[in-house]
Amino acid sequence: MSLARIWRVLRKDLALGPRSPFFLWALVLPVGMTLLVQVAFGSLFEPVPRIGILDEGSSAITASVVEMEGIVLERFDDAGELRAAVEANDLDAGLILPAGFDDAVRAGEQPSLEFFIGGESYAANRIILSVTTIDLIREVEGSAAPVEVEVVSFGDEGLPISSRLVPVVVFYALVMAGVFVPGSSLVEEKEHGTLMAMLVTPVRSREVMVAKWALGLLLASVMSVVTLMLNRAMGVRPLEVVLVVVVAGALSSMIGILAGVIAKNSTMFFGLVKGAGVLLFAPVIFYVFPDWPQWIAKLFPLYWVIEPIWQVSVMGESITTVWQELAIALGITVALIPITAFLARRMQAQMAGQ
Amino acid sequence: MTGPAIAVESLSYAYGSLEAVKGVSFDVQPGEILGFLGPNGAGKSTTIKMLTGQLTPKGGSARILGVDVALDDPEVQAQIGVCFEEKNLYLQMTALENLEFFASLFGIRDVDAMEVLRRVGLADRARDRVGNFSKGMRQRMMISRAFINKPKVLFLDEPTDGLDPVTSAAIRATIREEADRGAAVLLTTHDMFEADELSDRVAFINEGEIVALDTAESLKLKYGTRSVLVRLRDGDGVRQEHLPLGGGGSPARLAELAASPDLLTIHTEEATLEAIFIKLTGRGLEG
Repeated sequence: MSLARIWRVLRKDLALGPRSPFFLWALVLPVGMTLLVQVAFGSLFEPVPRIGILDEGSSAITASVVEMEGIVLERFDDAGELRAAVEANDLDAGLILPAGFDDAVRAGEQPSLEFFIGGESYAANRIILSVTTIDLIREVEGSAAPVEVEVVSFGDEGLPISSRLVPVVVFYALVMAGVFVPGSSLVEEKEHGTLMAMLVTPVRSREVMVAKWALGLLLASVMSVVTLMLNRAMGVRPLEVVLVVVVAGALSSMIGILAGVIAKNSTMFFGLVKGAGVLLFAPVIFYVFPDWPQWIAKLFPLYWVIEPIWQVSVMGESITTVWQELAIALGITVALIPITAFLARRMQAQMAGQ
Repeated sequence: MTGPAIAVESLSYAYGSLEAVKGVSFDVQPGEILGFLGPNGAGKSTTIKMLTGQLTPKGGSARILGVDVALDDPEVQAQIGVCFEEKNLYLQMTALENLEFFASLFGIRDVDAMEVLRRVGLADRARDRVGNFSKGMRQRMMISRAFINKPKVLFLDEPTDGLDPVTSAAIRATIREEADRGAAVLLTTHDMFEADELSDRVAFINEGEIVALDTAESLKLKYGTRSVLVRLRDGDGVRQEHLPLGGGGSPARLAELAASPDLLTIHTEEATLEAIFIKLTGRGLEG
């Protein structure tokens, strides 16, 4: 096996990629689906409250806002600039904290506080920022809240639908880039006879297979990471997410190569992927409908890569919690190698016999 | 290397129960062109597929440059060039990209692909996509791809099939150049004119077996009829007379006809390769 020859075939496939509709579709579909989900479920245009603070001292209020994940904070040194930013609707609100404000509050004085609200800001954001500011001042004062609010949630508490759809979108990235691209590339080479043209050079069929598999692995990994980033689901350990995604890409691409080896032509390839598509897609449905018996999802091969992606990216778990799933995914990938190699030898004889 | 570039001994192959090649034996020396002549389905392409590693022989042996083809040795593959009957080029790539890619598979870094394209008359289309090429241009691309690694052994499967006479002649000239360079050429064709013009030796293959193998000249002498055809004016029409050479009353009759004022033409009746093939197999080459 020559790495140099594998690289030459892979480089050719990468160069031809932009001229292939499947390759382009693999790039566009996950991005398009992400936008569709975000538009449909509101996360794309979700208004995040934005506040500007001019802190003339070093108020604890500013420090608290910095710690808040759901509020965008911008610091200012000039009151005129802050006011202009709010007027331009670059910010929902602006707050000027004079020097010694915290001490004055604690001393029971009632210092003046300038708080600007943008006229075009979302009402929800105004309320969030106003209430948050009042709560923070009360914290500085050290006084208890005048009322105790008991929160009662209606419906099942859980992740929003846009988060639960992340596995669906990642699945499309994996299947399009990992299964379709290498599989269809292999079938096209068979149909056009270019595979046989390569095989009468020093290139061996196993080198072509590895190059196609690497193409799927690379593209599936990149597109899955891009999809997760677009969905703000890279988790708290991005490197671990990338590692999990690479394992997912390896399995997806191996499935694509297997389908490409089995299919004699494009029609058969699409029929095969469409038929097997239900089996591939099945585990993803269980993330959208968490009430369904989850053990059923484990019967399908892509569960063993979708579950680790879900846990590490969306749920923020460590990769150590999903090592068993990853081991099974790698095990399936390795088990498919001899099967693919056997079928590839048969494929070569069939091609030559045509 | 001394000895034949291609050495085949009792080579056979079967597709299921159908015996496509039945124990053929032949060799091709460096610088020699061996024409493999036979109708469609005779076993020509199957033999080439075994020799180029596409099919594994079911029996017998074949050595390319002294190495058994069953070993599937990339080092041997690096020394061969193949022109398939099917035009299997990357249509989305330009002519130059096609050649450079295949050169890279052979591990050739300093390839002058433009020069190779110039040899087949495609230099001015080097940066055009092959998908936009005509059938003849694609065939010339196929030939140029087979030449890209300066192979020691060339397998050419119907290299001029379906081409116009001018393009065919140009391609035949480049094939001869390769043989003159020292390449052993195995040329399959069912075009008897091409085989006659290009081949140093000719093998007739029929139903998987080689029925004759020799120089075209020897085959013609061995299987042809030695006679002349004399055409004479006969009133408003033309009459013709066949005179066997080598004895009997023919010389006197030939002299008599040659002196006739009605004489139009005299031709030797040399047997064509196709006629010999029909004589040996009972079937034509186009079948």
